[in-house]
Amino acid sequence: MNSDQISISLDLINRHYQEPNRNRFESRYFWEELYSLISASGFRAIEIPYEPVWQFGGRSGVPMNRYCVETKYESADGYRAALAERGIDRVAGVMFDPNLFMRNDNLDFFFGASGHFAGEAVAHAAALGADYIAISPSPYYGRAAHYHPDLEAKSAGFTERVTDALRGLADKAASSGVTLVLRNDYWSLFRGERILPLLDALPAGVKLDVDTASLTIAGVDPAAFIAAHKSRIGCVHLTDTSFVDTNETWKTPNPEFPEHRATQVFRDPGTGGVDIPGIVALLGRQAYDGPVVFSARQTRDPFRALLRIRTLLDQLLN
Amino acid sequence: MPNIRYANMCHWKAIPYRQIDNFREFYYEDKTNSAYYSDWDTILKYQSALGFHGIEIAPWDLADILPLFGSPENFTAFAKDRGVEVIGMFHGAHASHAADHFDEAVRSGREAVDTIVRFGGQYMNTCPTQNYCGTGPLSREQVQQCAKVMNEIGRYATDHGVKLGLHNEFFCAINIENHRELIESTDPKLVHYCIDTAQIAIMGEDLLTFYNDYHDRISTFHLKDTGSARQPDSVRYARDPEIADDGTRWFWEPGLGELDLAGLYRLLKQHAFKGWMSIEYDGSPDLLASMALTRYHLDSVLRPIYD
Repeated sequence: MNSDQISISLDLINRHYQEPNRNRFESRYFWEELYSLISASGFRAIEIPYEPVWQFGGRSGVPMNRYCVETKYESADGYRAALAERGIDRVAGVMFDPNLFMRNDNLDFFFGASGHFAGEAVAHAAALGADYIAISPSPYYGRAAHYHPDLEAKSAGFTERVTDALRGLADKAASSGVTLVLRNDYWSLFRGERILPLLDALPAGVKLDVDTASLTIAGVDPAAFIAAHKSRIGCVHLTDTSFVDTNETWKTPNPEFPEHRATQVFRDPGTGGVDIPGIVALLGRQAYDGPVVFSARQTRDPFRALLRIRTLLDQLLN
Repeated sequence: MPNIRYANMCHWKAIPYRQIDNFREFYYEDKTNSAYYSDWDTILKYQSALGFHGIEIAPWDLADILPLFGSPENFTAFAKDRGVEVIGMFHGAHASHAADHFDEAVRSGREAVDTIVRFGGQYMNTCPTQNYCGTGPLSREQVQQCAKVMNEIGRYATDHGVKLGLHNEFFCAINIENHRELIESTDPKLVHYCIDTAQIAIMGEDLLTFYNDYHDRISTFHLKDTGSARQPDSVRYARDPEIADDGTRWFWEPGLGELDLAGLYRLLKQHAFKGWMSIEYDGSPDLLASMALTRYHLDSVLRPIYD
C-alpha cells in the first residue's frame, strides 16, 4: 500500500446526526479549522461525500457539493487553494449515494434526481482533480421498500435502470479522467457479492470500491473478497464495525440505526472487529497502489476519531 | 386553559430512533451524550418535562420521520402518548412569485396542508418565496403573484381546518420594501401571519409596531430573540446570509438578545391573543439548554405579564 495514497473521508463530520446543533457543522469557520486539524493529524488528502441537500437551502460553508464550494470559494480551484493553505494537498475522491431522492413512490423522480446529482458529483470530482468518484448504486433497500412495497417484483427493472444510469456516469467519468468505483454498502440492493453482476455489465474502466465494514456486515470476508477481485479494485475504504446483523437490519428504512437494538454500526477504525492491519498487509502483498480511504462514519467524536485513525495508521506503517 | 400554549419548532437534527430500548447499553458504547439525543421518546420527554406541549415539525424531517414511524398518524400518536401534540408544519412556497410556477406552488402547498392534517396540526407557516439573492428585487406584479398563490393555498388550508400564516425570513425576496404590501394583498379571511420575532426585526420591522398594526392577522408566533435588528441590504441580500461564515448567531434565546419581548407580551395582553406560540432555537449550540433557558425566561419574565 502506498502511504501517499491514504486519505481521510470528511464523512467523519455528519451534520445529520452528530450533536443537536444544526449550524456549527455548516459554517465556514468550522470547516476551515478542521482542514488544519486534519493536516496536523498527518493527512494530506481528503475525500468529500457529495450531498446535494446543502444546495437546496442555498447556504452553508460545507464543501459537500459544487454549489457550496462555488458560493464560498468561487471555483474548485479557489477551494483547492484554501485547502492547500491549510496543509491539504488534494481531494482524493468524491462519494455519492442517492438516498436523499428515495422519498416517494415515483421511480422516475428517483432516477431523474439521483442521475442529475450523480452527474454533478462526477463534475465536482473532476474539477477538484480527484482520482475517483465512488457511487452507491442503490438507495437503502428498506427505504426503497417503504415507498415501493413491491420492490422485489420490480428488482429486475430497477437493476436495468441502474445499469443504464451507471453506463452514462461511467462515460462521463472516463471523459473527465476520473475512475468510477461502485460501493458495496451493506444496506444496498447490490450488497456484498451482488455488486459483481452489476460491475460485469459496465465498461472495464469501472472498478470496485471495497468497504471493509460493509462487506463484513453483509457476511463477506473482506480479505477473501480483496484476494478474489484484486484486479478489479479501484478504491478501498477502511471502515470498522462490531455489528452483526442478526435481524435483517439491512432491510430496514434506516439501516445505520438498527431498530430495537440501538448501536453504532460503524466504529472508528481500529475500535471494531475488522482486521484492518491484516487487510493493509494484504494490500501491501498485492502491491495495491490505488486510493485508500479511512472513514470514521457515525463517529461520536470526530476529533477523537481523527487521532484514533492517526494512531492506528502510525502502528500500521511502522 | 392558559391563553398561550407553548410549542417547539423542531430544530433537532435528524433523530434516528423512535425509542431506545437498550438505553444503558447504548450509553456504554461510547459514554457520550449521543444516546440522549438519538430517539424521539427522549426528545419528546424533554419537551413535555419543560412544558412545551406542542411541536411544529419541519418538512425536511419528513424523509426520516415517515419511514421511522410508518405514517404521520403513528408519529402523532407516539408524541401524544408523551404529552406533546403536533401543532403544524413549516412550508416553503418556492418560486411563488413566478407566474409560470403557479400550479406547482399551489400543488405543493396543498400537499403540505394534507400532510399537516394527517399529523393533526392546525398551522402551516409559509415562507412566501425564496431568497432575495438571485430572485429580488420583485416587481409589483411578482408580489401580487405571491399573494395570489397564498390566497389559493390559504383557501385550501382554511377548508381543511388549517391556518396559513405568512412567515418571512430576513433574507427573502419578500423583504422590508414589500413585506406589508404582500400581507395587505392577501385575503385576511384566508391568509394569516406568523410573527417570527427575530426574523422581522432583522429585516427591519419594529416588532411592537408591526404587531400593533397586524394583531388581528396573527395566527401564531415563532418566538426568539436577536441582537442584530435592522441589518443592511448587504447582509439581507447576500448570497449566503443565514449561516454566517464566522459563526455569528442571528438568533438567541428569549432574554439573551435585545428585543422588547416584555413589551410584546404587554401588547399580547392588550389584544387578548390566545393560541399557540412556537419557540425557535435555530442557531443554538445546545437545544436542550436553550429549551430550559427559555422556560425559565417565560416563567420568570414573560408569562407573569400575560399568559
